[in-house]
Amino acid sequence: MEAARFINQIQIPKNPNRRFSRPPLDFPRIIRASSSSTSQEPKSYRGPKPSKNLVADFVSRNDDSVRSLPIYVGGASLLAVLFNRAVSGIAPVADASSSQSRADLLALGLAVTNLLTGLVWLSIRPKTITPVEPEGVDCKVLEPNLPASILSELLWAWESIKVATCCKSLVIVYNGICLLQIGMAAKSPDANKAVLVNTDKLMTGSVYQGVFKSKAQSYLANLSLYPGRSELPFLPPNTQAVILQPLGDKGIAVIGGNTIRGFTSSDQAWISSIGEKLDATLGRCFLDSDEISQETDR
Amino acid sequence: MSIQICSFPLHPRFSLRACSQTAARSTRIFARTENESSRSDQQQLNLSVLRFTFGIPGLDESYLPRWIGYGFGSLILLNHFSASAPISESQLRSEALGLSLAAFSIALPYFGKFLKGSEVEKRSLPDEGEQVFVISSSIGDSLKEDLAWATYVLLRNTSTVAVMISIQGELCVRGYWNCPGQMPKAQLHDWFKRNVDEIGLADVKETLYFPQYAGSALSWDILPDGTRSVFVQPLVHNIDESEKMDGFLLVASTAGYAYSDKDRAWIGAMADKFRG
Repeated sequence: MEAARFINQIQIPKNPNRRFSRPPLDFPRIIRASSSSTSQEPKSYRGPKPSKNLVADFVSRNDDSVRSLPIYVGGASLLAVLFNRAVSGIAPVADASSSQSRADLLALGLAVTNLLTGLVWLSIRPKTITPVEPEGVDCKVLEPNLPASILSELLWAWESIKVATCCKSLVIVYNGICLLQIGMAAKSPDANKAVLVNTDKLMTGSVYQGVFKSKAQSYLANLSLYPGRSELPFLPPNTQAVILQPLGDKGIAVIGGNTIRGFTSSDQAWISSIGEKLDATLGRCFLDSDEISQETDR
Repeated sequence: MSIQICSFPLHPRFSLRACSQTAARSTRIFARTENESSRSDQQQLNLSVLRFTFGIPGLDESYLPRWIGYGFGSLILLNHFSASAPISESQLRSEALGLSLAAFSIALPYFGKFLKGSEVEKRSLPDEGEQVFVISSSIGDSLKEDLAWATYVLLRNTSTVAVMISIQGELCVRGYWNCPGQMPKAQLHDWFKRNVDEIGLADVKETLYFPQYAGSALSWDILPDGTRSVFVQPLVHNIDESEKMDGFLLVASTAGYAYSDKDRAWIGAMADKFRG
């Protein structure tokens, strides 16, 4: 079965472009090593506590002002060089004749470097996108009569994806049955309840067929631009991003998020790993139940 | 089977130059459009920037200020010591300004690392250390499978080179560790268990994250040389509404600051799988 391949020894290939690793700058750090002389079971933890990196905290908190800091430093040094020349009565001529002008030129070069670095930092400032609260109702619909291990695995998958990403809705369909619909769901117009998943309609739709044929994860970063939106009526109407993860050959997981492009590439990798695991677990469970039902038929 | 070394963030770059890659010694400046995604908590901070950069592959421009700082700083010193006759005060002032600017430039890439949108260092393999995969034999098959899968996924999806999961004293160890080679599996498991008890990792009550682990500060010999980040997550076991620490999950990487908030959230989710 597929799960067995995970037990094989993995070979991490040597990275050919091995980067020359620099020793980190040694900024003063406070490291307290805790030692304990008790020897009960289990032994108390003996090792340092993590230290606080003041520089990192300061920079992360004052992101905007740190970005423009090199510009101010570079600009101020430019002016300082010119002022120095003016004060000492030397003409501001940029040639390399005297050692004074050489020193000035080097200082100017450094000031320009700082200016440019500040401009680069400003230009790569990331754009923050605000999350959109999904419109709908909270729902938790589980297929009855699922074995407890499957149930706990499905709920674990939901908890992980909910905590680690911007996901707000999760639907898992396997073998033609909707096993799980959890999180926010669209509100049905007549009653105050969630719209349930119509698995036949979903599986004959183009969205599912596309994912089934390509057998790869599909990431719709901005759902409003996608024409197949109408085939996912169970998701809240203002869901911003969707990941469609195939579970082997027999199922699909629909993961809805509340931010445009809210799933990073790391999230996508993790979700596809979880998809493989769910496929292995569910495949085994359904295979067993198929065998059992065949035996009882006989 | 090959594993994909996932460097985060993945960013496709395409340069707009038409000529071939002969720009080794050229100092032409090319304009590139880059799509970069960053490691923020809840959102993918996608940005398209027009960024001026040299077209040399493999050259990390973010360290350019540091090199310029070293170069120009040494030139200033050279100029100072090769100057004849008394050095005027204004020159001394210029040189002082230049040297402080050089020091600031040298420190710039270090600050830049903590800004949002900066790149994470890629991991490299440690110099010494054996690649092992040890799993305790006294646990059930389904738990063995779960442990094998979890360690595999952690090695693949994060920049981890060494992972250890301990559940109620039973270990699963995978990756590059600094253990004696040529030991049979059963003995290796006991060897790890002894070392873990020495450090007392089973008693850790909260998550520990060492983004700049310096080998001399911690005496965790089992981690390979060249380990720069270590993250420990305790596993919580709920019995009758009282929480007991039931084990831990340890990941180590050769890249500094390897585990962003998002990575740590996912590792916590993996640890939840082995809860009670």
